[in-house]
Amino acid sequence: MNHIGQHHTLRHKRRVGRGLTAGALAASLFIAACSSSSKSVTPATSGATTTSAAATATTAAPTGGSTAGTTAGTTGGTTAGTTAGTTGTTTPAKVSDKALVIDRSMDINSLDPSVAYCDTCQIFLTAVYETLIGLDSDNKTLVPRLALKWESNTDQTEFTFHLNPKATFADGSPVTSADVKFSWERLKGLKGAASYLVATVKTIDTPDPETVKVTMSQPNSAFLAQVNASYLGIINMKAAVAQGATTDATTDKAGTWFQSNSAGSGPYTLESYQSGDSLKFKANDKYWGSPPTFPEVIMQQTDSAVTQRQQLESGDADIAMQISADVAKDMTSSDTVVKKVPSFNYVYLALSPGAKGGDKLTPTVREAIRDALDYQGLIDVTVSGAGLPQPSPIPNGFAGTEGLDPPKQDLAKAKQLMADAGVGNITLDATFPTLNVYGVDFSTAMQKVQTDLKAIGITLTLTPLELSVWATKIGSDGIPVTMLYFAPDHTDSSQYVQYFGLVPDSQWTTWTKQPVVKNETDLLNQAFAAQDATKRADLYNQLAKAMIADQVIIPVVNPNLFLASRSDIKGMHYSACCNLDLAKLSRG
Amino acid sequence: MPLLLLGIATIVFIVSRLTPADPLVSIVGERNLTNPVVVAAAKHQWGLDQSVFVQYLKYMQHLLQGDLGTSFSTRQPVVHDLSQRLPATMELTIVALVFGTGLGIALGILAARKRNTIIDHVARFFALIGSSMPNFWAGLLFLYIFYNRFHWLPGPGRLAARAKPPGHITGFFTIDSLLHGDFTTFKDSVLHLVLPASVLAWGVIGIVSRLVRASLLDEFSTEYVKVARAMGLRERTVVNAHALRNALLPTITIVGFLFAYLITQAVLVERIFSWPGVGSYAVTSSVKLDYPAIIGVTVLVGFAFLLTNLITDIVYAFADPRIRLS
Amino acid sequence: MTAVAIPMPRAARVRPKWLRGPSLIGICVIGLLTVVAITVPLWSPNDPLASVGPRLLGPSWKHLMGTDALGRDVFTRTLWGTRTSLPVAVVVIVSAVVIGTIIGGLAGFFGGWIDATLMRAVDVTMAFPPFLLAMAITASLGPGIRNALIAMVLVWWPIYARLLRAQVIAVKQREYVDSAYAIGASRWLVFRRYILPMAYTPILVNATMDLGQVVLLTASLSFIGLGAHPPSPEWGSMISEGADKNFYQWWIAASPGIAILLTVLAFNFVGDALRDSFDVKDTGR
Repeated sequence: MNHIGQHHTLRHKRRVGRGLTAGALAASLFIAACSSSSKSVTPATSGATTTSAAATATTAAPTGGSTAGTTAGTTGGTTAGTTAGTTGTTTPAKVSDKALVIDRSMDINSLDPSVAYCDTCQIFLTAVYETLIGLDSDNKTLVPRLALKWESNTDQTEFTFHLNPKATFADGSPVTSADVKFSWERLKGLKGAASYLVATVKTIDTPDPETVKVTMSQPNSAFLAQVNASYLGIINMKAAVAQGATTDATTDKAGTWFQSNSAGSGPYTLESYQSGDSLKFKANDKYWGSPPTFPEVIMQQTDSAVTQRQQLESGDADIAMQISADVAKDMTSSDTVVKKVPSFNYVYLALSPGAKGGDKLTPTVREAIRDALDYQGLIDVTVSGAGLPQPSPIPNGFAGTEGLDPPKQDLAKAKQLMADAGVGNITLDATFPTLNVYGVDFSTAMQKVQTDLKAIGITLTLTPLELSVWATKIGSDGIPVTMLYFAPDHTDSSQYVQYFGLVPDSQWTTWTKQPVVKNETDLLNQAFAAQDATKRADLYNQLAKAMIADQVIIPVVNPNLFLASRSDIKGMHYSACCNLDLAKLSRG
Repeated sequence: MPLLLLGIATIVFIVSRLTPADPLVSIVGERNLTNPVVVAAAKHQWGLDQSVFVQYLKYMQHLLQGDLGTSFSTRQPVVHDLSQRLPATMELTIVALVFGTGLGIALGILAARKRNTIIDHVARFFALIGSSMPNFWAGLLFLYIFYNRFHWLPGPGRLAARAKPPGHITGFFTIDSLLHGDFTTFKDSVLHLVLPASVLAWGVIGIVSRLVRASLLDEFSTEYVKVARAMGLRERTVVNAHALRNALLPTITIVGFLFAYLITQAVLVERIFSWPGVGSYAVTSSVKLDYPAIIGVTVLVGFAFLLTNLITDIVYAFADPRIRLS
Repeated sequence: MTAVAIPMPRAARVRPKWLRGPSLIGICVIGLLTVVAITVPLWSPNDPLASVGPRLLGPSWKHLMGTDALGRDVFTRTLWGTRTSLPVAVVVIVSAVVIGTIIGGLAGFFGGWIDATLMRAVDVTMAFPPFLLAMAITASLGPGIRNALIAMVLVWWPIYARLLRAQVIAVKQREYVDSAYAIGASRWLVFRRYILPMAYTPILVNATMDLGQVVLLTASLSFIGLGAHPPSPEWGSMISEGADKNFYQWWIAASPGIAILLTVLAFNFVGDALRDSFDVKDTGR
């Protein structure tokens, strides 16, 4: 480079240098300006939503006014029971003009009310499709909802429901007995996972539009609790049939329509669903009960508990549903409220002797596995100690669990049992779904189980699979050792026997490929026929012990639930039938 | 080219049928798998009861009509899913491409001009990190620093949770909000773009800056540059007016490749930033073995690759007079 | 007269260009990682699969990169991660090079319809975004390191096929090849003695850089759950485990992340230097 060129380069160097620093300064100023105003972006955007919400507010006013007369009678009758139970006051919940944002890792299999079966589905179904009977916040008392009153005969084979004449669907048409008949028959006919709840329903009669008479094929003392399950919500028959819905799985065509539309009577309707992204509810401005407290409810797919915490603390979310114990520990901001409550949810290990590769799982080996697990260690590792061990598939707090001893690790006994079994060191396939529910990361839990079982000579080959792929495997070949979770569908202990017990048609009888145990089947039928609650509890206690003796389902942890919300959200709760009832929430 | 597309579609079909898992589970639910009546009805409805060859023919037929089938998990037509998600990915990719290329060129020029000085080494190192770092980890790192720790930038997602997307014109939140005069949403969408686009752009900078530097250095050793310098032209003129034009040709050639590279890189970045684009759709469908969706995404992206290559060839022909005149 | 011993200067020992500077660092790092991968079972500070302390501890002298959710030492697991990443990378690239050489060599050498068919296969495979294709294949075959390996080989061989074909075509036309035929050399001999040796340079450069890219791809596949199974200490799945605890326990993801970065940087340094010294232009990409 010649001399002249160098001289120019030098000057240019300085200019480039200055240019770069100026640019860097400008960039950082810009970002600083934007980020400081990004804090004000949220109020600004909520300002934007107020203008659009103002539109909905004006439309809400007339409906508020017109239903005032009707709700005076109905809210007095229907919600009086509920509000007396919940807040002890009768002040109506304040209606907010800002959407409710819920952070959740959603596990939706379908939004079709007759097919949906998942924890998030319970929230959706409760808000959009109402059941005849509701559950009070004590998680025990049944309260009227679509039905004003109900009776049953003494041997629990006939149930009659009297519908509230004021109840209407979101399109304004009244809820009639024909809709109830259609909904429950469709639930039974489409054979979704929730159809077991109406398996004992023989006939549904509709003597008049406000009366439903259900005849059971056998005594069923649990039916009222089952009616309370969110899966028995009532569908608008006319609207659904117009989209091709039938009560027969081979002719029904409405599945796709239900993914983006709803036909219910609840305070909210389905606005949109983008799988893996968000589920949006819109307020039902024709709702026949007390007005919905939010114009919109947005459920955002957020997988990480930490991100949920960030969003909650910054106000981007109002409720975070999967805050884990580790994260809850540090949440001390005054804008958020975190409450730890016991739950009925649990995660369990399932042993399937009948599965491919599971032949070594003799009863002795299974008992050894049960004794080898480090239960306290599992609870520490998965939920940092915020949980309880659980002896049987019937969760702590349900009828039948009194007096059962919690499982304890006994390595010496486990090793002895393995020696007695005489199988030497065995290797078992442990394919499990990649889930993180109730704060329990399945991968972490399975790795701990793997370490525990190594000590007694059992080697597990861990294979994580996505849930639908896992479901195929367990439905076909079966899996010797796997893990899953369960949340209650309703408040009666029978569901656990129906799902986990070795009785005909139970999910786990099918999956473990084990024969039915007659004793359990008999006990269950007796429990269904028993009218006295104490007698039922005693029968369920015997059933719990029988299921423990089956040694196929080993509950691993019953985690506590962390109710995390912004401090201006009222009514946060945990419902044993419905997970979270949006109608009970309000802001301010 | 149509033959190529046919090949692509066929290969994807074969790959998706290799799977040992059964998609019926997501359609009928686990409980129903033991009920032959329901299973048969579902198989008929979804066309899974015919022989593989017939399925292939049906699939090709639909493909030629632009029908990519219905996704098992979302129950919507795949074309619908993709058209919803494509603008999100396009917005992210184009922003990353523009900034990455721009900054990459600038950095490359800087490195070439300051050859073998500390600036050169720092610039090259910075570029190299962009090519070496796992971008999903970079995304986590950026989120931690700029969102979790210092709260300078917003978190995952295209917009703040409660914000309403602007009315759909192009699907690009930035453009749509401007067209509606909604500056708040515009600012929100731009801020949400910064982090994921930066992660992607870093990779682009890595490739582009090294290429530009190498090309410029090649040009510097040519006769005409020596003449220009000897004539006393300012260095800036030498570079900008003379050397750069030729040095940029290879960069233009790879823009098509860069675009394809970005679409690939976007897959994991979209996952980390909860960006509802084609990339995260691809991951979810792959893991769930949702064949129509997997096929749809791959065919779409394959088609996009071919298209960008074609456009690049045309652009290159315009840019390089030698080709035009030959 | 006795000869006077004239001191001769020793031949100047200049290190070849590709062994200097960053490249040297790169080679040292790769060498170190290889040594670690081979020998770590002998001197490992902890058992990578066992819980050795309280969970989620931060970095300390006892645990250099802290402990993870199961109480395992993160630094030890990172070291053991080399035993998955490096062998997989080597196997994938070697397989891809071998397959690519055979196919590309055949195509370039014989030309005609063999060339046309094989190159169409190459074009179709290369029309897919590599990560998407690898993801789809691995998901179909079932998650696992072995299937991920197969998927990656299937994604990578076309690049080498194209490279080699270009080289073969270029060399084929040289005069000395004609002379070799003239003196009666068989086609196989010509291929082996004349063509292949000229072709190896770009392959070497690409292979070195691709080793790093395979490490990245393996980690990416494991990150979404399609690669290594737990509790295997693979870097990508470790980052996935750490992502959940996103940085309130930052060390769980940072340790494997830095390991990947260093490894890939090292390969890139060496590859860059090789390219500069052999003056290879990137073709076929």
